[in-house]
Amino acid sequence: MTKFGHTELPQEQEQALRRAIRLAWWTIGFLVTAVTLVYLVMGSSQAMKAAWAEDLLSFIPPVSFLVAVHLTRRPPSPRHPYGYHRAIGVGHLVAATALVTMGLFLVWDSTSGLLAAEHPPVGLMVVAGQPVWSGWLMIAVMAYTAVPPVLLGRAKMPLARALHDRVLHADADMNKADWMTALGGIVGVLGIGLGLWWADGVAALFISGSILRDGVGNLRVAVSALMDARAETVDGDEPHPVVGELDARLEALPWVARARSRVRDEGHVFHVESFVVPADGRPPTFDQLRAAREAGDALDWKVRDMVVVPVEELPEELLPGLDAEPAGHDAG
Amino acid sequence: MPTDPDGTLDRVRGGVLRVGVSPAPPWTAPASDGSAPGPGGIEPDLVRAFAETLDAEVEWTSGGEQALVDGLERDELDLVVGGLTADSPWVDHATLTYPYAQATGPEGDKELHVMAVQVGENAFLVELERFLLDQDVRP
Repeated sequence: MTKFGHTELPQEQEQALRRAIRLAWWTIGFLVTAVTLVYLVMGSSQAMKAAWAEDLLSFIPPVSFLVAVHLTRRPPSPRHPYGYHRAIGVGHLVAATALVTMGLFLVWDSTSGLLAAEHPPVGLMVVAGQPVWSGWLMIAVMAYTAVPPVLLGRAKMPLARALHDRVLHADADMNKADWMTALGGIVGVLGIGLGLWWADGVAALFISGSILRDGVGNLRVAVSALMDARAETVDGDEPHPVVGELDARLEALPWVARARSRVRDEGHVFHVESFVVPADGRPPTFDQLRAAREAGDALDWKVRDMVVVPVEELPEELLPGLDAEPAGHDAG
Repeated sequence: MPTDPDGTLDRVRGGVLRVGVSPAPPWTAPASDGSAPGPGGIEPDLVRAFAETLDAEVEWTSGGEQALVDGLERDELDLVVGGLTADSPWVDHATLTYPYAQATGPEGDKELHVMAVQVGENAFLVELERFLLDQDVRP
């Protein structure tokens, strides 16, 4: 049985995890070939340089995914009572920071090249004894790097949702957009071929802009997750539906009048603190409390480390936004 | 493909090829006396043969490498020869051709010989590279 910490994965997640690990290795294998080929042909083209940097950066998400998955398997210990789930968030932050840094550098680099009106030189290369204009080699390599990442990205996206894995999600997102980098590179090289020296710089700027945009988007999600923001969907767009379902499930228990939960995303799994107000004002029995925890566990595999706290009334200072809820809100 | 942004190849074809020569025997040697048609040495001979393929006249300028590379940047020269090698420091200011000859340097290390042209004039660059790769140059 595969585990995240002490969380046993349901079969669907276990299969998704195994597939995701295999895809991460495929991605790394593809990137090794892409980085080598682009390096061999890139010459002095700014656009090729930007594309190469992007390929190099693309190593970070699959590698941090593999490292994070390895770490999150460790069970919680006295020193790490919450387990190692945060490794995902750390990996995500590292990947996002690398993207932002490289994006900024490349935007600056290609802008200054354009402003200085640098004309990119692209001459001959000798391949297997034949002289070939390197532009054709660049175009061929870019075309090769266009397709596999899109397929990998499409395959990873549903797995990222199933596993609630943000690093994998960021990786899939970048892979899916990778064909634009390749196309940008091809347009830049064709531009050089037609004597439009600025086409290369413009293509490089477009590619660096996309790296920077990826970076900023990922940084936003990674930082908010590490800041213990509310649990959100894997793309960081909206609150995770499990939070509302959890409150509804608790309120459906006969002894519970009201329930509200604070849920944070540890990476893969959620740690939950649920505040419940007993219906008749009397403290619940141990059996009732255990049943409440089990109801939460049964709701979703991600719900772990659930703490149920019986309270006289819901503590507003611990549940911000509570008094802003419309009357009769049923959390569903 | 490719095309020159500033049209060097079109201008040189049937026109004038402006070449800078810096002394580096045996690759280049300054004209021995006024009667010789320009400088001697391996590279000037190659340049003359290349100019012939383009039906162009060669206009020679001699000087130090620095001055000649400045000439490329100011669009006063099309081509610079002077025993340049692939690890030349001018790479930011000029484009070096694909190495067309290999020689052994003074310390027994391998030297890849190149010529220098204006940055980004890719049609002219490729024309010259194709010509040079067709020659069998041995120092």
